[in-house]
Amino acid sequence: MSVGSCDRLTLELIAADGLQVAMSALRLVSSAARRAPRSFATGRRGYAEAADKIKLSLVLPHQAIFTSTEVVQVNLPAATGDMGILANHVPTIEPLRAGVVEVLEPGNAAKKWFVSGGFATVHPNNMLTINAVEAAPLEDFSAEAVRANLQEAQRVAGGNGSEEDKMEARVEADVYEAIQHALSAR
Amino acid sequence: MLARSTLRLAAQPPALGAAPAGARNMATLREIELRLKSVRNIEKITKSMKMIASTKLNKAQRAMQAGKQYGVANSEVFQHAPAEDPAKRKLFIVISSDKGLCGGIHSSVTKATRRIFADTESSVESDSPIMVIGDKSKAQLSRALGKNLVMSFNQIGRDIPTFADAAGVADLIIKSDVKYDSIAIVYNKFVSAISYESAVMEVETEEALKNSPGFKAYEMEEEVTKDLAEFALANAVYAALVEGHACEQSARRNAMDNASKNASDMIGKLQMQYNRGRQASITNELVDIITGASAL
Repeated sequence: MSVGSCDRLTLELIAADGLQVAMSALRLVSSAARRAPRSFATGRRGYAEAADKIKLSLVLPHQAIFTSTEVVQVNLPAATGDMGILANHVPTIEPLRAGVVEVLEPGNAAKKWFVSGGFATVHPNNMLTINAVEAAPLEDFSAEAVRANLQEAQRVAGGNGSEEDKMEARVEADVYEAIQHALSAR
Repeated sequence: MLARSTLRLAAQPPALGAAPAGARNMATLREIELRLKSVRNIEKITKSMKMIASTKLNKAQRAMQAGKQYGVANSEVFQHAPAEDPAKRKLFIVISSDKGLCGGIHSSVTKATRRIFADTESSVESDSPIMVIGDKSKAQLSRALGKNLVMSFNQIGRDIPTFADAAGVADLIIKSDVKYDSIAIVYNKFVSAISYESAVMEVETEEALKNSPGFKAYEMEEEVTKDLAEFALANAVYAALVEGHACEQSARRNAMDNASKNASDMIGKLQMQYNRGRQASITNELVDIITGASAL
């Protein structure tokens, strides 16, 4: 709803009814226009009309990507399945599998990071903290390197090393496959 | 006459013995020379150590900022779900390092741990286990609370600590059979580039979390609590390690700065001494020559 269309509406009201109705409508509409954001990304599956936000802290050991930043929606690759977190979500603790975290900030386009794993916690005070061990924007990944490392990991997993090495290699292979899936879905 | 007595007076302050003959003066002059050379070398070393610590401090401070945010996000859960009853058997993890020449870093953490144990008001059991990261603190604590020492780690803190270090430490702690109700991490908190203070970070165990009333507000799967407790421990150890590393670099820089200042003061004093001694010996020789010549 932009202010331009509000003016048109009030002009119609002036024409139809009395001046008083139009004036009150204009006051109401302009105050509503001031509260809502000027631009709202259409084509987004946004259930929150950009009015309610949740405070996100997405932190890595070596870098803090978000610190108590107000965002609209966060999509997480939880171990139990992908989930989207909106404002005032019920308090939850979810372990994250290797996958893509998508953050929708008010007004900006969605940003995606591939996280290796960690924990996401929604707190009772409308805060979401994500502690991830490693995360990087999808653009930073090279498909070639991923493919080569995946082959290496699969070789070790199928080889004849110790049980620990094979399990580590299997986890590695899972992560690389998740990266490939994320890169192709982009 | 007067000249000789003033000479003797001038020779007294160095306290290297009133030297009546020129030969004695030369020997003490050589001693002063040797001392001067060694103090100059020390000053060069401490200056370069200060430079190294300064550059390392910049990197360490940047890592600490990120690590602190990481620790804050990690401890949010514990703030919403505090433990119900105070823990009786606490596991103390003392964070320090292997290297010295960093001022009072190691004794700060050791003193804090000893203070907690000596405090009769706190409900901490006297045989609570202690785990130490860093050889210097281990040496100090083994003298004071030796029987409580359970495990020690070293070779951590040579460079900026990584999450892998912290995860390894947490893994070994969890795999060990040590029993505890809660965990207290004793580390040095970074107050500013010239000061630090010891602090304690509390981490809850799985049972404490499960019994906490605030924790029941969270929805989760069954086995998640154990993973959460282990992950939270690794995160807390990482945050403490990285902040302790920054404190150590800043303390080392300050200590080396003071040492360089002291060394340059000492060089100035020794130089004065040397010059006075040299002038005294020259004057003595001159006086000998003159009196000898005048006797002829």
